[in-house]
Amino acid sequence: MAELKLDAVSLAFGGLKVLEGVSFQAQDGELFALIGPNGAGKTSVLNCICGLYRAGGGRIEFAGRAITGEKPHRIARMGVARTFQHGELFAHMTVIENLLVARHARFATRLLAEGLFLPAVRRAEEEHRRSVEEVLEFVELERYRHQRVDALPFGIQKIVGFARALAMEPKALLLDEPSAGLNRDEREDLARHILRIRHELGIAMIWVEHDMQMVADLADRVLVLNYGQPIAEGRPEEVLNDPRVVEAYLGTHAL
Amino acid sequence: MNVARSSGYYRTRYGEDFALLDTKTQKAWCAVFVAALLAYPFVAGPLALDLANQVLLASLGAIALMLLTGYAGQISLGHAGLLAAGAFTTGILFKELAAPFWLTLPAAALAGAALGVIFGLPSLRLRGLYLAVSTLALHFIVIYAGGEYETRRGFSTGIIVDPPRLGDWALDEPRAWYFVLLAAAAATLLFAANLLRSRTGRAWRAIHGREAVAAALGISVHRAKLSAFVVSSTITAIAGCLFAYYRGFVSAEAFSLYLTIEYVAMVIIGGMGSLLGALLGTVFVVLFPYAIDAAMNLLGLAERLSSVVFAVNYSAFGLVMILFLVFEPQGLVGLWRRAQDWFLLWPFKQRPLAGPR
Repeated sequence: MAELKLDAVSLAFGGLKVLEGVSFQAQDGELFALIGPNGAGKTSVLNCICGLYRAGGGRIEFAGRAITGEKPHRIARMGVARTFQHGELFAHMTVIENLLVARHARFATRLLAEGLFLPAVRRAEEEHRRSVEEVLEFVELERYRHQRVDALPFGIQKIVGFARALAMEPKALLLDEPSAGLNRDEREDLARHILRIRHELGIAMIWVEHDMQMVADLADRVLVLNYGQPIAEGRPEEVLNDPRVVEAYLGTHAL
Repeated sequence: MNVARSSGYYRTRYGEDFALLDTKTQKAWCAVFVAALLAYPFVAGPLALDLANQVLLASLGAIALMLLTGYAGQISLGHAGLLAAGAFTTGILFKELAAPFWLTLPAAALAGAALGVIFGLPSLRLRGLYLAVSTLALHFIVIYAGGEYETRRGFSTGIIVDPPRLGDWALDEPRAWYFVLLAAAAATLLFAANLLRSRTGRAWRAIHGREAVAAALGISVHRAKLSAFVVSSTITAIAGCLFAYYRGFVSAEAFSLYLTIEYVAMVIIGGMGSLLGALLGTVFVVLFPYAIDAAMNLLGLAERLSSVVFAVNYSAFGLVMILFLVFEPQGLVGLWRRAQDWFLLWPFKQRPLAGPR
């Protein structure tokens, strides 16, 4: 059971409290949306989970093991993958190379063997090339496979970032505003990919999102953050109509 | 990797995706090139042969620095120090124990690997200029240690090293050296290209400027940095060992900071992030002073400028480096690719944005 559990997680940069008492659980196969106004600390939650930030307090558990304060590459190797808001692709590499980088922890080839490109290395490369092709097929990027990512339109780059996380064969997926910067068509594709992951892979997804319509349509559960504090949690239709949430987004004097 | 092709892909296997040579044309040209390299020492005169040997020898160090700086993005100014470490390991083992080359070569490689860890440790904390300065400090430590050994043992002018022997045969003839150095350079190039098309090379390229992302993908950034330093330093120390045998002489003065700058120049002028660039840069930097010399002779200035020939050389070198940084940051490889594009696309001028690469 690869559930992701946060218990009273807090984070501060100097005197600035970024997160305070953030607690939630996401189960396998659950699409858990994390929403809130700008600066609410949504990305910080993801950074704490994947170890890029060290939570100042509280406890983060994944698959029954505490991962608080663990190094990012160790957390990634346990099966937590993430995407980035701005793609953060390796610009000078092709799509395939970007995805192969994500297979790093699934390789066990040794440096000297690689330098001599021994048959075992060749076999491993071919095997991982095949896995990457499956991911490319899943997200329908086949025709871009040999292109350098910096030559691709932003919408495609975002999907490549998404595919790169999938190439890790994760047990939990953290999505940081995957729809930001995408047009209507691209958003529909993305929604389809997310739903397919839920149905076919059945992994937990923490999904930071600004598109309320998408959240209302797709998410299983929603947590709303405001100034680093959770203000509401539940099913989308309950949460999005909660007066506190409306206030956080629109202010008290709206209308 | 991203070599321009005149038309699409004809690949039916995944293995073809990472083949070193792709099309038949490439293979044919490669064969011609290898044949030319093998024939070279039989047509070249003594000076041309020595120049070729210098280029081949320097190409090891340039490839090593390209892996570290051009691919893994770690700046190092310790390159001359590492060459010195390899050369001094060879010289000291030869002088003290009369060790044969098949002992000094692995010993130099080991010394290089160990120094690679030491040179690499600061990179776990420092970046950019600060890392450069810390490697520079290590350069001076190595050179100081070498110089100290020379004076303590009374080799104040340097250590004389006999040519490597195999039975009765000694490697002391330029033509034989050419083939040895050619084999060493080819092996290094192949080793580097193999690393770059497998897991370690991808990790190096991934940590280049995107450490946090690489870590989030499961790459141990520390491990990747240290492995880049160790591989680069090992190759460089091996080059230093060969240097000691080729020159027959080891002296701390030969490994000045200027030598480091020459290697950095090879990488920059050749073009960052390309093995071909490392080779082109080596040819350019090694031949440059000779070209300047020839140009001065041709212009009839050699007599008048004979007292300042070094100054002319240095300033011309600096000027060329600045020109490259300003006008062609992608170096000679950038020029080469542009020329290739021009011929491939003629009569058109621009590569289509979404075309096959």
